[in-house]
Amino acid sequence: MTVGSQVKSCYSSLKSADAQLGILANKAQDQETRQTYQDVQNIISEIKEDLQKEVIRIGQEEPQYKN
Amino acid sequence: MPEWINILLRSTGSLVILFLFTKWLGKKQLSEMNVFEYITGIVIGSIVAFIAADLDGNVFHGLLALSVWFIIPFAAEFLSQKSKTFRNIIEGKGTVFIQDGKIMEDNLKKERYTTDDLLEKLRDKNIFRVADVEFAVLESSGALSVLPKKENQPLTAKIIGMTVAPEKESQTVIMDGKVLMEPLANLSLNTNWLETELDKMNISIENVFLGQADSDGQLTVDLYDDKISVPGPSEKPLLFATLKKCQADLELFALATENQQAKQVYQTNSNKLQHAIDLIAPYLKS
Repeated sequence: MTVGSQVKSCYSSLKSADAQLGILANKAQDQETRQTYQDVQNIISEIKEDLQKEVIRIGQEEPQYKN
Repeated sequence: MPEWINILLRSTGSLVILFLFTKWLGKKQLSEMNVFEYITGIVIGSIVAFIAADLDGNVFHGLLALSVWFIIPFAAEFLSQKSKTFRNIIEGKGTVFIQDGKIMEDNLKKERYTTDDLLEKLRDKNIFRVADVEFAVLESSGALSVLPKKENQPLTAKIIGMTVAPEKESQTVIMDGKVLMEPLANLSLNTNWLETELDKMNISIENVFLGQADSDGQLTVDLYDDKISVPGPSEKPLLFATLKKCQADLELFALATENQQAKQVYQTNSNKLQHAIDLIAPYLKS
């Protein structure tokens, strides 16, 4: 696996975690619980965006490994 | 009127009256009766028995006696709700048996409690050493309430300073193979959700004896067929594992890259994710 695909797989894991947190936040009955899920979801979204930029950058650096 | 009809009428009538009276006197009677309430209950019962079976007796005399034994305790209860002094007289006050870890011998004597009685009551509370007790009081209902010394109290999350996720009560959503709509609505979930969850576990609703959903919307079920093993909820543990894996990955990228700017990005994000994991861990582990 190239570094690019590793970063990509990490990115998609984060994406799935992000979505999962959204579902949990929606299902949670307790206000505090819901707030925590949402806070964490926001943090993950920020990380996700950073990582997405990274994926693009790596893709440009090593176009020969772009599958 | 033949006697048996008389008995039938009297019995049915007194049964209805007894039912109403006990309803009005409240549930409190059974759970925490003091001596007064206890005796009242017995007397009311005897009067009803007298009305029902004693054919020579006058029904109205019986009813009169019954209403006295109903009205006075009812009034006493009402008054004791309004006034503290009255409550102390009627229900009595608790007697302190152990204070600051020391036995109050005079109070024991006053309640005619022997040392053995006290020890027995303490053992009943799983305490075998009087030295472990900080405070104990004999309630007016006759039960002994015990506060163990702090170091002998069960360990709680608060004592060790652990953060725990708040938990709401679970709702029973399936009973005997049938969906209960109201609890489901309480969790703002619907039958569609339930069907999806059951599909995920690969079971049909007819086979579910009991299904409960917690406030995070995780479904746990018990099946009629005990030979089938049901997977427990895996959503939250999986999510937790994913987050941890991502964090480790980010750290790895930070170490691997030679691009200083990228290293910085990976490092800050890895720290951020660690912070997020710390935040959410109590919720996902419960």
